[in-house]
Amino acid sequence: MQARLEARQLSKYYSATPAIRDVSFTLEPGAILGLLGPNGSGKSTTVSLLTGLREPSAGQIWFDGRNIAEGLVEYQARVGYVPEEAHLYTFLSAREHLELIGRLRRLPARLLTHKISTLLDLLGLTSAADQQISGYSKGMKQKVLLIAALLHDPDLLILDEPESGLDLTAGLVLRHLIPILAARGKTILYSSHVLDHVERLCADVVVLHHGRIVAEGPVSQLRAMTQENASLEDVIAQLVTTVDPARTAGEIAEVSGLNA
Amino acid sequence: MNPFRRDADATPSRLVLRLFLRRLIDNDVISPHADRHESLAVLCALVVSLAVFVTFFITTEYLAAFIQLPGPTALSALSDRFLFISASIAVSALATLMVWDALALEPRDAAILGTLPIPARTITRAKLAAAFIFGTVFALALNAVPSVLYPLFLTLNLRGMHGRGILQLIAGHATSVVMAGLFGFSVILAARGVLRLIAGERGFRRVSSTVQSSLVVAAVTALLLAPAVRKTLVYDWVADATPARWPVRPVLWYLGVNETVAGHIVAETAVVLPPRFSFVGFPKHQDDASRAAYRALRPRFSELAERAWLSLPLVACLAVATFLWNNRRLPEHATGGATESRLRAGLRRMAERLTESNRETQAGFFFTWQTLTRSQPHRTIIAIAVAAGLTHLLLALATSGIHRLELPDMPRGLFAINIMLLAPLIAGFRYAVTVPPELRSNWTIRMAWLGDERDYLVGVKRAAIVALAATPLLTLLPLHVALFGFAIAAVHSIYGFMAATALLDGLFLGYRQFPFGCSYVPIENPKLLWPASLVSVLLAAYGFAGVERFALQTATRTAGLGAALAATVLLVKIADRATRRERLPVNFDERPAPATQRLGLFERIANHD
Repeated sequence: MQARLEARQLSKYYSATPAIRDVSFTLEPGAILGLLGPNGSGKSTTVSLLTGLREPSAGQIWFDGRNIAEGLVEYQARVGYVPEEAHLYTFLSAREHLELIGRLRRLPARLLTHKISTLLDLLGLTSAADQQISGYSKGMKQKVLLIAALLHDPDLLILDEPESGLDLTAGLVLRHLIPILAARGKTILYSSHVLDHVERLCADVVVLHHGRIVAEGPVSQLRAMTQENASLEDVIAQLVTTVDPARTAGEIAEVSGLNA
Repeated sequence: MNPFRRDADATPSRLVLRLFLRRLIDNDVISPHADRHESLAVLCALVVSLAVFVTFFITTEYLAAFIQLPGPTALSALSDRFLFISASIAVSALATLMVWDALALEPRDAAILGTLPIPARTITRAKLAAAFIFGTVFALALNAVPSVLYPLFLTLNLRGMHGRGILQLIAGHATSVVMAGLFGFSVILAARGVLRLIAGERGFRRVSSTVQSSLVVAAVTALLLAPAVRKTLVYDWVADATPARWPVRPVLWYLGVNETVAGHIVAETAVVLPPRFSFVGFPKHQDDASRAAYRALRPRFSELAERAWLSLPLVACLAVATFLWNNRRLPEHATGGATESRLRAGLRRMAERLTESNRETQAGFFFTWQTLTRSQPHRTIIAIAVAAGLTHLLLALATSGIHRLELPDMPRGLFAINIMLLAPLIAGFRYAVTVPPELRSNWTIRMAWLGDERDYLVGVKRAAIVALAATPLLTLLPLHVALFGFAIAAVHSIYGFMAATALLDGLFLGYRQFPFGCSYVPIENPKLLWPASLVSVLLAAYGFAGVERFALQTATRTAGLGAALAATVLLVKIADRATRRERLPVNFDERPAPATQRLGLFERIANHD
């Protein structure tokens, strides 16, 4: 089967500082790939390159057999993106924001109105739909981002910490939604710190550390690399953790207990 | 000094005060992404250079005088001081309006500071103190240079003036203008407090942006009117011809302060002439008469000064009292039940029909409308443009009055009202599209657009035509009907509409970005562009007014001008379409050259090497 998304030796430098180096992986239609790594490992940079919002310093991204640099807009028209930070036009209401996105994506008026109303309703945002986003909580903003990413029925969904701020129900809905979308042939890149969710949702993972891939492949294969019955959390901890968590926790407790 | 040690020793109230002050400068005065030091340096340079330029410009008549007489100088200095005081009030008010939202505790203050063991009272007081420090420092910075330079330039050729007298003049000038600046700041703070008190939290949120924009229009109009009317107003007041109107009275109060503190210094200066000159005849009579006239004003100055000394504490107390009452509790997270009124829903449906042929046009239309009405920087740009047009309108009406005259006798200024309002609005709009409403949110547009900005741009322009051409023309129509009669007023408005359409398309001819969606890149040569634009607008507006007055006298000429305007609109549209046939890439993330590159230092260093 032809890969839907292929990252080929991606590198990105900020001035002379490398953020990621030689990152390569492929994703097939219907696949869910987990992108893992500690803070500063290069996850967000990788995601921003995959959305086309930043250009790689070296390497290429191919989508359906075509380099995205040759048709960036056509590529972005098929991508749905939920960023880590919910930057939205705060002077718009959720409905106005979604209408802006839908109109720019040339969705027919009736279909757009129907999709917005239904999705707002399903995610419990109808009562706040006409309030300005400046008054929204983080979870409400996250729901708006999720709806905006789904409006145009994208072939590739890039989700960067999508559960951040979501309430329990919305989080559960999202976790059920992702496999359904994958079953319909959508390709999903899921970047998260919540390893439990990644383990349940993703068949394959890519682990980044200091801007490089330190492990990749099916979760079961990663487990096999380490001790028996190890959880994904244990595997990742073994791969990327350079400190002894128990000792660090003890030291934090000690310092916080210091008095004048 | 170790800053951490200093912070560790500071009391919570001082730390919170420092935080609020920093936030006023970082987030509200200057862009959230800008470098604070660079932006402050640019701001200070702007204030100082403007102050030097204005002071020099005002005092050229004194600097150029070979023999300067104290009596006439004392009288003519009144209108100069009127200008300095009115500018101080208006600019301070404007600066305060720019930080309007930061003049009270916000939900984010409660979210960040409410969890710390700091009493709410301390937070409230710190916010109030930060606001007052901001107002005071701004008034001092704004007036520091003119307070020293103006008395120096004024008395440079007054040979009888001594050093102590100059110091007294500086003290008088500084006291009056700084007090005036503080008055401008306190009036806005008090107005905000009273409005919040009367309207309640929800009501205030609903009207706040409209009130803020209206006050910006008022402050800028006052600032632009002051140089034009200062002499007439002050001479009328001196001659006691007409009682001063309300907006002028506070300026006269602070003028009274200056004159009671130091005004007599110039009027009582002895006349010292160059060798071989004698002080007799007309100059002596003129000097004596002017001194006598000035002395006769002194009781009135005292009365005015009393009002100034009373008004400032009163307004400041009102500002403090309303602030403390309104902020007695930390604010909760703001959630408003913004339901759409029937009128708004009807207008929205009408606008949707107007743009339903194309989805991107619809997106451009609505996003422009929402940005212009809700984003603070864009509202301010449009408010300043409205103020420029309003200033011309007031001056034109003040010169000619609202009388219906025969067409050939009508002053050209009345015909120029439309263009003098529409041209700044459309030029302001052209500038506003280069300013992103929220830079960090631009990614949404970048991800969603489909690679062709042309249809979106059509929507953006359509919104501008409705908001900035049709609406002002309809608002001005009753005035034009009163001036010209219905038929001519209608034709005049149609001419204005066509001129505005041509101007809008003309200004966007070379524009190849995505309106409101790209990063902001400053104009390359503002020192040349702004004055040149001002002169062009004046020449074009008055030139067109003359042509219009001539054309409207007969039906044939009226039709001829209409046809010429329609042809111009068509030509510009054809040119626009032709230049956009070839697609150019849009750079969403263009960055201005760093300051060192703008100064050309790299090139100079390279050449030197």
